[in-house]
Amino acid sequence: MSALEIKNLYKHFDGIKAVDHLTLSFESGKITGLIGPNGSGKSTLINLLTGIVPYDFGMLVISDTTKLLEIKPYNVSSYGITRTFQDVRLFEQMPVIDNMLVVLTERGVWSSIYEKHKRYHIEKAKEALEKVGLWEKRNELAINLSYGQRKLLEIARALAMNVEIYFFDEPFAGLFPEMIKIVTSVLKDLRAKGKTVILVEHNMELIRELSDHCIVMDSGKLLAQGKPRDVLSQKDVIEAYLGE
Amino acid sequence: MEYFIHLGILVSIYAILGLSLNLIVGYTGLLSITQAAFYGIGAYATAILITSYGVNFFVSMLIGMVIAALTALLIGYVLSKFDGDYFALGSFGFNIIIFSILLNWQGLTRGPLGIPGIDRPEIFGVTVSSNLSFLILSVLTVIIIYGLSQMIVNSSFGRVLKAIREDEKAIQIFGYKTHHHKLVIFMISAVIASVAGSLFASYISYIDPSSFNLNESIFILSIIILGGLANNKGVIWGAVFLILLPEALRFVGFPTDVAAQMRQVVYGLILVFLMLYRPQGLMGEYKL
Amino acid sequence: MSILPQLIINSIIAGSIYSLVALGFNLIYGTTKFFNLAHGVLAAVGGYTVFYLSKMWGLPIIPSVIVGVLFAGFVGYLVDRTVFRSLRKKKASGMVFLVASLGVMTALQAVIAIIFSSQFQTLSTGTFKVYRMLGGVITQVQVIILALSIFIMFALAILLKYTRFGKAVRAISDDEEVSKIVGINTNKIIGRVFFIGSAIAGLSGILVGFDTGIEPGMGLSLLLKGVIASIIGGIGNVYGGVLGAFLLGFIENFGIWKISGEWKDAIAFGVLLTFLLFRPQGIIKK
Repeated sequence: MSALEIKNLYKHFDGIKAVDHLTLSFESGKITGLIGPNGSGKSTLINLLTGIVPYDFGMLVISDTTKLLEIKPYNVSSYGITRTFQDVRLFEQMPVIDNMLVVLTERGVWSSIYEKHKRYHIEKAKEALEKVGLWEKRNELAINLSYGQRKLLEIARALAMNVEIYFFDEPFAGLFPEMIKIVTSVLKDLRAKGKTVILVEHNMELIRELSDHCIVMDSGKLLAQGKPRDVLSQKDVIEAYLGE
Repeated sequence: MEYFIHLGILVSIYAILGLSLNLIVGYTGLLSITQAAFYGIGAYATAILITSYGVNFFVSMLIGMVIAALTALLIGYVLSKFDGDYFALGSFGFNIIIFSILLNWQGLTRGPLGIPGIDRPEIFGVTVSSNLSFLILSVLTVIIIYGLSQMIVNSSFGRVLKAIREDEKAIQIFGYKTHHHKLVIFMISAVIASVAGSLFASYISYIDPSSFNLNESIFILSIIILGGLANNKGVIWGAVFLILLPEALRFVGFPTDVAAQMRQVVYGLILVFLMLYRPQGLMGEYKL
Repeated sequence: MSILPQLIINSIIAGSIYSLVALGFNLIYGTTKFFNLAHGVLAAVGGYTVFYLSKMWGLPIIPSVIVGVLFAGFVGYLVDRTVFRSLRKKKASGMVFLVASLGVMTALQAVIAIIFSSQFQTLSTGTFKVYRMLGGVITQVQVIILALSIFIMFALAILLKYTRFGKAVRAISDDEEVSKIVGINTNKIIGRVFFIGSAIAGLSGILVGFDTGIEPGMGLSLLLKGVIASIIGGIGNVYGGVLGAFLLGFIENFGIWKISGEWKDAIAFGVLLTFLLFRPQGIIKK
């Protein structure tokens, strides 16, 4: 089953085709590696799929049922999608625990005014933070965390959302080996639960280790897809990377 | 003694104004420079209703709050389409428009002539005529507003406001229609400012549009930037400091109109120094 | 309708003044990328300097005006040197700059009021020539305003396009970091930009002083009109600001044809808000 299908997606900036009539699908319950040289459009694609940037035209199909001609940022989570950012976007001048609680509490205006967070919100936050080893730092301001800890916090935040589709944009970049182990187990854990993970990554070892399926982009187009082992030894894929 | 009571009432009124603005600027991160407009709406609602229609003070305050809320709904809706500098500029614009209305809709507001003879409030048949009793009323109001503000910022809603301040797009992705939140806090802030306006009108007994111009909005902004953004206790201290400081100047012996301008010089310099050396203010939790 | 030509003349004069303010504002905004709310008070600085020199010291007009313009430029340069340069070094956010400029505006305006009182003063010496043109009336001062604003617009355009300084300014407007890397002394160039922009603002204040008069708060209203003009025309775009200025002049003057002149400011802001809502990038596409 396809968790998320993209049909003929197109986005251009100032004449550059960032995503060029892209058609592909992400299979549910699997980890899909999304790779390609710099500027191939991977991050742009994720931004388009999560409402950060509007696309020019195209259609998204979620779980083979919901068809969308556009996606607004505040609707993204209701479609079962969440993400982390390549440039780590946390709520800096708020403590770690608040960064977590804000994705767990009431979304409506009036219902949230009357709510102080409940115990089960804290428990859910604790669950996610413990998975990445940040529970002890819960009262630390996000801005005071180390780079690696910030990336882990973003991941914990995404986990707390408990949705179906997770986009991780270069979650491993800049992490120490111990942290890489943590993130690896988080991703495998998600797959074991039947969740859909799309992983943008430059580290090919990790791609080989983690992804069930691999999609290669180049210049906004789909270059190749298949098993990592196959795709990574394809001539045109290697050339695309060498040319960058 | 009377003098200190007078200062106490002024500090209370500006503390309420500061608390109202802090909700938008300190907690939600929106640089709004139009608070004087809602202050003015409350003041004029009370002034007109008491002098022309003999309405009870508290009823006039309530009506002022409703008008402020509706005006904020309109203004907030327009402003929510902007961010950063353009939000500030747009809010400037609204202050000027509201000020123009207060100044020029002479049929309603008597324009630059102002409205004199605003009576003191009446509670259960007793008039709050002495300044001391008005001080008690003002301080009680500050306590209520402070409590209300704390409840809001410590709730889940308050946490969302702070997230909007930090990264609005990011928090949207997690399922928040942030324009609703911004609009609601803008309305709440306007309603609180109008309460301060009603108190002011009844205390001073005469109001005119000049108290509700851009300079006033800038002054209220200075209070919260000095006292500390996103820290309500700091706001109270900011109000104390900025009201008392120029009074101290008066004792140095400047003639009254020069003293008023000296005050502005000091406020201006305080803003500059804060931005240069301590953007979070004295007790603030948020740096601009 | 015999009032039409006069409306047109008034619109053109208003547009000329606003375009001077917009030119200075856009020039500075282009390089520093923040709304400098202190820009307007330099108009008052220029106006009051001329007032001081000509009315209180009896200096002849032309030298007073020259000194006024230069002094306004100098004050603007000083403000950048003492306040904004430090903020640039700290990589402060746009809001911090805005609030700091707000502080400068408040303080300077008050200083002027202390020295000269808040009373409305006029710079003109009482006698002024009046010309009849196209069925309307235009004063000598207003003709000078029109001529000067056109002259400065062209002078600035030439400066920006053909001189080395102009190229440096455009480079910084495009990308300050890259300009530094290429070896441009950005602080020095920005300092000069502040001088020129503030001098132009000072000139506009002086001209308004001769046309109607000066008071310490005049800068804010002028600045806001200049900002509105810039936004209408496309922020940062020097020519756009001029176009926006004349458009604003016309809308304001025709707008108050049927309603009281007191509503001018409100109309101007109504226009601003409309543009911000529907076409924030301005009329001229970048």
